[in-house]
Amino acid sequence: MEPLLHILLKPDNVPIVLMVPLFAGILLHWWRAARRHDRLLVEGGEAAVRRELDGPLPEGTPEPKLHTWPYLLRVELIAALATVVVLLVWSITLDAPLEQLADPTRTPNPSKAPWYFLGLQELLVYFDPWVAGVALPLLIIAGLCLIPYLDVNPAGSGFHSWRGRRFAVSVFLFGFVGLWLGLILVGTFCRGPGWNWFWPWEPWDRARAVELATRDWPALFGVSPGPGASLLGGATVLGWYGLGLVGWRLLRHRPALQRLGGSRYAVVAFLLLTMLAVPVKMALRLGFSVKYVWTTPWFNL
Amino acid sequence: MKDDRPPTLWTRRDVQTRSAWALLGASLVAMVGAFVRLLFPRVRAEPPTKVVLGSPEAFAVGEVSERYKRTHRFVLVREAAGFYALRSVCTHLGCVPAWSAGQEKFKCPCHGSGFHRDGVNFEGPAPRPLERLAIALDAEKNLVVDTAVVLRRERGEWSRADAFLPYPSAGHP
Amino acid sequence: MSDAPPPSTREGPPPGLVKEVVRSALRVENVDTPRNRVLAVAHTVWLHLHPTKVPRYSVRFSFTWGAGGISFLLFLVTVVTGVVLMFVYRPTPEHAWLDVKRLDFDVPFGMLNRNMHRWAAHAMVIVVWVHLLRVFLTGSYKAPRQFNWVVGVGLLTLTMLLSFTGYLLPWDQLSMWAVTVGTNMAAAAPVIGHEGPFAAPGLSATNDVRALLLGGPTVGSAALLRFYILHCVALPMALGLGCIVHFWRVRRDGGISGPGTSGPKGAP
Repeated sequence: MEPLLHILLKPDNVPIVLMVPLFAGILLHWWRAARRHDRLLVEGGEAAVRRELDGPLPEGTPEPKLHTWPYLLRVELIAALATVVVLLVWSITLDAPLEQLADPTRTPNPSKAPWYFLGLQELLVYFDPWVAGVALPLLIIAGLCLIPYLDVNPAGSGFHSWRGRRFAVSVFLFGFVGLWLGLILVGTFCRGPGWNWFWPWEPWDRARAVELATRDWPALFGVSPGPGASLLGGATVLGWYGLGLVGWRLLRHRPALQRLGGSRYAVVAFLLLTMLAVPVKMALRLGFSVKYVWTTPWFNL
Repeated sequence: MKDDRPPTLWTRRDVQTRSAWALLGASLVAMVGAFVRLLFPRVRAEPPTKVVLGSPEAFAVGEVSERYKRTHRFVLVREAAGFYALRSVCTHLGCVPAWSAGQEKFKCPCHGSGFHRDGVNFEGPAPRPLERLAIALDAEKNLVVDTAVVLRRERGEWSRADAFLPYPSAGHP
Repeated sequence: MSDAPPPSTREGPPPGLVKEVVRSALRVENVDTPRNRVLAVAHTVWLHLHPTKVPRYSVRFSFTWGAGGISFLLFLVTVVTGVVLMFVYRPTPEHAWLDVKRLDFDVPFGMLNRNMHRWAAHAMVIVVWVHLLRVFLTGSYKAPRQFNWVVGVGLLTLTMLLSFTGYLLPWDQLSMWAVTVGTNMAAAAPVIGHEGPFAAPGLSATNDVRALLLGGPTVGSAALLRFYILHCVALPMALGLGCIVHFWRVRRDGGISGPGTSGPKGAP
């Protein structure tokens, strides 16, 4: 238990510890509100949801609006004061850490990135730096920017809902909560010296030797490194993205895909398959010690 | 409004507007370009790159010496046949691998890459072997490592004469 | 609603000196009436970000968790505490770490300021993520608010970059290695990094994109100075400008989103 306590009480990790109940609470609230609103939508459309969110109108109210001063400003003032109080208490009780003077010839072991980048650092175990540190972050940012242009479904705009936008919400929650936040927790709690896997209750044994010998994906089928392996790996990667074409063939008659259109579908399929490739590659690595799926003289995936 | 003028590719106004925008764009590109160039100074002050290690006799056969790691960031390996110097910079993301005598390997603390004593990677995410530094004997028969000359195996540079110093050897390499 | 006439053009004898000064500063009579509250929201630069009236659902705290506003407040806290820290801190390898030590042990309220800066920055990252999650779950990026979501993603990216550049400044072991690892990824970028796939010909450790970030092949004094300038000047300015656009677009895109408010209608 000692390593777990050590990790939990490290000042820099306090945000992660706070983050878990915070996001759990927000998701719980979303789920309950979404269920309620889904029911109201069936009964009375968005107007019913609006009535529920507005609350009962007092007698003699001509319009369902409130004056900014005082009704909105007082909420903002209370929220701001509460935030500052929390921050002050936090800053008085916990001191920001300062480690030893920077030394370019000695790397601490383990050497962890700031907690909000631990997800990316975890990806470095499974992918080459240009994928984990450049391609995937850029794709995350581009994908986030594209969300409003790819999700042309008008349902559920401006309130919590689930039934009308199951696909969009599932994809986002899988990527943001499952992958991004999940990998941060793995990096914080399960990685120890040598970036080896330590369960949170395991003591950090610095001398522990872990056999990390790896092989490439074609080697699983007895193909030794060389042009043949490159071809097999390339075929695997292209085949993976080919699943997008299969999906189009199977689902193109669905109204949702009709509305999406060809170019939007292609972008959605590419981004989704790339996102799903991340846990697949992780599973290949953890389960079968696969280092690269596709090796070429210029880059390795 | 009806336009009676003969159709032209660009009107006079188009030409003027577009050249104004082109001029503005070119000025902005020049400004940004000048700023980016400013961020790559012509001269950087660096300490001398040649490190004199003294007599080769000071190193025992089989030794992996981390004596110069703190000051110059390389390790010296003494084999029965001679010497080579490995840069202590992990080829994954630049952390400092540490020599583990018990396990006979260099282990990087950041992401767990492992390298054999000759610098070749065999585990973890490192994509290529550690880099060697040019090594030679000077006129006084002292070992000299040049940290500016970096030799990479995957480029075939380890077969160069300065990648490995045969010792004992009669003459200068 | 028409503008109130400036005080100087009003009829009758001039008011007393104090009253005149107050009224010229506030542009509104300092009398707490419902009409003056509306005028204050419409006429003061701080409050005019808000419309004078808002939908009832939008004052529910659980509708937004106040995440956008709290993110901005935390940004302001980091700006104020950061400026205070700049009075003590010198961005050179000789001084940086010792100056932070001095802040912690010698400078009155130095530790508290540094703590506030650090924890406000961490809290800002979390609250920005909460804001992202909430806006997604309420579908608030849908038409006509698509572009403001893009602006928001830009602000999220700037928040992360500010955190990352701030990490180097204490010049301790954590700084050193987080930034070494982080910028070595830039060296592995395709085409523009010398270690990356398809690296442009002639690229080396001294002229690729990592050298642009660090001012040299390794994390040293040039890198510290560059990160300091990015952290204290360039990125906060970009974030501030982005916030202006973001807030303005919330108003122009029809105010805070809610059920039945989507569609290409104008601002309230």
